[in-house]
Amino acid sequence: MSARPAIAFALGLAAAPAFAESGQEWLTRMGAALNNASYVGEFVSESAERTERLAITHRVRDGVVSERLVSLSGHGRELVRENDEVVVYLPDQKLAIIERRSGRSDLMGALPQFEGRMASWYKVDWVGRETLDDFGPTAVVAVRPLDGYRFGYRLWIDVDSHMPVRSDLADGSGRVIERLRFTKLRFDDNIPDSAFEPAVDRRKLRWVRQSPQSEEETPAWRAAQVPPGFRLSVSGMQALAGSGAPVNHLVYSDGLATVSVFIQTPEPGKAPMQGTTRSGVASAFTTVVDGHQVTAVGEVPPRTLKFIASGLRPAAAPEGATPAAASNRH
Amino acid sequence: MTDRIKEQLSAFLDGELPDPESALLVKRLERDDDLRGALSRYSLIGAVLRSDGDVPAARQVAARVSAAIAQEPFRGVAFVRMPGRDTLLRAAAGLAVAASVAFGAVLLVQQVGTQDPAGAEAMVAKAEVPPVQPVADELDTTDAPPEAYVTPPATDSPSGIPPAEFANYLVAHYGYASPLARRSVGAGIISDDDPSFVDTAPPGESNDP
Repeated sequence: MSARPAIAFALGLAAAPAFAESGQEWLTRMGAALNNASYVGEFVSESAERTERLAITHRVRDGVVSERLVSLSGHGRELVRENDEVVVYLPDQKLAIIERRSGRSDLMGALPQFEGRMASWYKVDWVGRETLDDFGPTAVVAVRPLDGYRFGYRLWIDVDSHMPVRSDLADGSGRVIERLRFTKLRFDDNIPDSAFEPAVDRRKLRWVRQSPQSEEETPAWRAAQVPPGFRLSVSGMQALAGSGAPVNHLVYSDGLATVSVFIQTPEPGKAPMQGTTRSGVASAFTTVVDGHQVTAVGEVPPRTLKFIASGLRPAAAPEGATPAAASNRH
Repeated sequence: MTDRIKEQLSAFLDGELPDPESALLVKRLERDDDLRGALSRYSLIGAVLRSDGDVPAARQVAARVSAAIAQEPFRGVAFVRMPGRDTLLRAAAGLAVAASVAFGAVLLVQQVGTQDPAGAEAMVAKAEVPPVQPVADELDTTDAPPEAYVTPPATDSPSGIPPAEFANYLVAHYGYASPLARRSVGAGIISDDDPSFVDTAPPGESNDP
């Protein structure tokens, strides 16, 4: 072998990935990047209903995650998160809503391993390498749902930073529901606290707080039927704007997708609601169960929400009141 | 309409808005009547300024815009049709076509002022209506955006929850959303398309920050 091919061969080896190109491995690296990286960027969210351009500032410092999302397309609405507390600033309404998450803070912060039981609901495929104009080479991984109760993802993971610079949310047929893609991304380990201050004058806002009020050891309500893989993750009472009394808030998850279920005592004089509502990737289904308004919200297909909400029952209800538990595989 | 949008409109008409922002603005124009009205007014003002005060000439351009919109036939939709939603989608597609024609005509106004045929041709070409494409059965593997995004079919009448209440539910759900979907949910919460939020504080909750 002459010197030139030998050098080329050596360079080829050096340029090859140092690890196996497996979808799960790339998801693990991506999860680590999502949990540890601090960055500033802009991304575009596109769906059939809307296109939104947003700025993002994300910082992880001493275990505290701070994030600020700013809408660049209109009224300058913002969402600022610090660990479990989220504040939504609505300058057009001169309103701020504070929401504090209940339950274990580490419960849903990380990506799951798509192995074991998760492999029954999702299949992870290595798709290949693809070069994006804005970011160079990426590793493309598909997370495919194995039934119609959840959505799937196709992720473009930057090979250097391991950040997902583009993701497509797709239905069970692989049709794209929403695309989220970064247009700018810059890593910065020294993002100052001031970067998380809202642009709006906080003194001119009215504040509405939606706080958790208690966690329930024994939930007052239970789902008599859930899609395969979904389990109860969080149960508690919380305040909700516009509701005269605290509402039950249950969270079901299959490890990746989540569904919140809110159970409210009907307000006097307010007509009961029934039907589906959508906003981007999230949908809601509401119905009346046992005289209570039951509303399921989540980034899952509407049929999943209807399936869970329709099966809610007071925990004290007799077993005979349980609906047919089709596909119930706790 | 915010000052920022006004600035974007102005930059768009001056051909100074970056391509990605232009694409977003065009999409916004397709669904925002007020914004389209503002665009027409701005372009008319621009035409008058560029025609040395020749108002009749500028009005003639405006009339051509209206005529073009009126004569433009329906060309189809780029969305997946859902049962019971054809009328809405057809109307939306028609609106998009009309808006696109209007943009072409408005950009033509720039041509009148600038007398730069090559540049104007390029701008008009940019505003052409994209051909209708079938929705792919599988996820595409290219960097190009899909020709259409699908909307998950509703399981029931899509009139269940008042939008403002839905927005508050979304805020309550946000912290629990999947790490892969959380930013999408967040984008939905602060999207300007969403209506007002319920601002009635729950009982016993402080109104202090």
